[in-house]
Amino acid sequence: MNEFSRRGFLGLAGAAGVAGLAACAGTGTSPTTGGGGGSSNTIEFWSNHPGNSKPVEQEIIKAFEAANSGLKVKLVDAGKNYEEVAQKFNASLAGGSLPDVVVVSDVTWFNFALNKQLSPLDELLSTAKIETSDYVDALYNDYNLDDKHYALPFSRSTPLFYYNKDLWKAAGLEDRGPKDWDEFLTWAPKLKAAAGSDKIVMELPDGSNYLDWVFQNIVWGYGGAYSKEWTPTFSDPNTVKAGTYLQNLAKDGYLKLSKDPAPDFTAGIVGCSMMSTGSLGGVSKDAKFSVGTAFLPGDGNCPTGGAGVGIPANISDDRKKNALKFIEFLTNAQNTVTFTQATGYMPVRKSAVDLPEEKAFLEKNPNAKTAIEQLPKTRSQDNVRVLLPGGGARIGKGLDQIVQGQDVATVFKGLDAESQQVFDSQIKSKLGA
Amino acid sequence: MQSSVTQPQSATPGSGGPPPEVGPPPRRSSGRAWEWSLAALLLLPNLVLLIVFTYRPLLDNIRLSFTDWNISSPIANPVGLSNYIEWFGRDDTKIILRNTLVFTVATVGISMAVGLGLALLLDQKLKGRNIVRSVVFAPFVISGAAIGIAFQFVFDPQFGLVRDLLARIGVASPDFYQQPGWALFMVTVTYIWKNLGYTFVIYLAALQGRRADLDEAAEIDGATAWTRFRRVLMPQLRPTTFFLSITVLLSSVQVFDIINVMTRGGPQGNGTTTLVYQVYQETFVNQRAGYGATVATVMFVILLAVTVVQVRFMDRGKQA
Repeated sequence: MNEFSRRGFLGLAGAAGVAGLAACAGTGTSPTTGGGGGSSNTIEFWSNHPGNSKPVEQEIIKAFEAANSGLKVKLVDAGKNYEEVAQKFNASLAGGSLPDVVVVSDVTWFNFALNKQLSPLDELLSTAKIETSDYVDALYNDYNLDDKHYALPFSRSTPLFYYNKDLWKAAGLEDRGPKDWDEFLTWAPKLKAAAGSDKIVMELPDGSNYLDWVFQNIVWGYGGAYSKEWTPTFSDPNTVKAGTYLQNLAKDGYLKLSKDPAPDFTAGIVGCSMMSTGSLGGVSKDAKFSVGTAFLPGDGNCPTGGAGVGIPANISDDRKKNALKFIEFLTNAQNTVTFTQATGYMPVRKSAVDLPEEKAFLEKNPNAKTAIEQLPKTRSQDNVRVLLPGGGARIGKGLDQIVQGQDVATVFKGLDAESQQVFDSQIKSKLGA
Repeated sequence: MQSSVTQPQSATPGSGGPPPEVGPPPRRSSGRAWEWSLAALLLLPNLVLLIVFTYRPLLDNIRLSFTDWNISSPIANPVGLSNYIEWFGRDDTKIILRNTLVFTVATVGISMAVGLGLALLLDQKLKGRNIVRSVVFAPFVISGAAIGIAFQFVFDPQFGLVRDLLARIGVASPDFYQQPGWALFMVTVTYIWKNLGYTFVIYLAALQGRRADLDEAAEIDGATAWTRFRRVLMPQLRPTTFFLSITVLLSSVQVFDIINVMTRGGPQGNGTTTLVYQVYQETFVNQRAGYGATVATVMFVILLAVTVVQVRFMDRGKQA
């Protein structure tokens, strides 16, 4: 009996553990309908506080509550990044209590909209008589599916070209960013010579950390693209040319990838990088050298990025109405300025830059001005990166392989096939449905 | 259950006489029924929890593995075996299986071997051993995410401790974040460091409960230290070793936090992706919850098979 108990117990414990592991993946598919929990007087706002924005979010919430007596806003820590917010939202869709307002990134909003889990805002906006023409057009239209908008821009960013002005001076270069990537190639040997062997000319985030986002600038600069609408175009000769350019930069010792270039750049061991406008605050504060910012090389080749805020589809109309009221307040001209100045993200309202406090801020912070001046040159991202499930991770993996020396044409051919397969199996049948 | 309670009791084994015509006193039968009822009552809450939170989701997971469920969608369409066919045919399956195997074997083997070594050392009467025991155990209670963040600095190719140590002996630091092999090494070492305290403390408890007289007898008989370790100590530690091999295996296969914090499954897409990380990646990043359920089911089958083999192996070891 004893022998059985011990062995049996361990066996059963093992089996239960194994079963528990497998049970982690699946939950259920029951949609939340009706109210989705929650209270109509308390607006639950799920955020990852992009750019360490929790204090400024709380400040805006306090102002909203003061201006709207009877309404409360509960700020919920919904994850450390956009992906974690999306996971939490997905979990709530399977039967939990839904938020009233949720942060959705340039990558995560589409899947929710496609599966009818976010409310189209157009009708709500028109009922509430909220004017949308003041939103920056490129940012507002990023959330468009079948002529309906599913989010409003909130923490929006673009990449900027950051450079170490001291190194630029030592290399005898003008105090500006490169006009295009060919010009950068002529600068790279001078920068390398001036930097010395222990420093790196350029560092970019690796494929697990949004290389696929900033690399769009190089691809577009060479006339290529990840896709044209839904057709993958990685094998286009111009896209391959851009991939080869990236590979050669690494091969010649001018480029290194890392998890996060910001600390290395701030420490002065990296000459330049392409990073989000959201990094500007931290870099400017901590760098011990003169930081320069410039438009990304090329003309009109800057991808947009960041996040917006949306409203779940399956909550009551009353909750939707209040949620929209809060979103409008959160992203109005005054508050977008407050948010921008605290984080480095871009103002999402056209009129924001005319406010006296923003004018004064930009006067004092010329690097912040670069992002705003670059805004008219931004371009919406290619569908296969931003709208295909797992697009960013898939392309990032391919770019990592290219930097490590794998054949560019082969890697891109594989990306074409994979992207097409994902589109056919997961998107095609739902478009226009 | 009913029949076992009402069956007449057999005669005392070895008595040789015929069974008595009259059965056992009814009091004994009702006593057993009471014991069974009590056992059922005590087990019921746990059983219900297991069914609701483990076995029902397990069955649901298997059902979902035959669908194309997108995690954000309320609809899951049946797709037959196509998820399984895809998993077995995909190029990255081999890489992910290899990563899982390397990570699991290394973490189970090394953390058990080093844990045993430390337990043997700190079982001796050494000055300050209680402090050292606490130090060895401490990482086990720290969250994996926190350890992952701390070890990012240890392995940072520009500023890290490892880089600094290697530089002192004139060796350049590998780029742990860009080379798949080194990245897997990095997360494996980090997890072993975290888990060492667990194997150490379990082995230490087992060592303190062993029969010292057997060791002394073997020593008097002239057995060497190695022979005593192999022939006297290890057989006594066998149940502990078996217990650890199962629990460490299961916890190793579940490692997610360290991988997510340190490498997000990269570099090069799947440099450190293990099966459990693939479940996450497919379910939440690629939004293919149906396919994620397939990977989880495959993982379940593999682990079940490994656990059965372990139980059989242990059983055979006992009989030998």
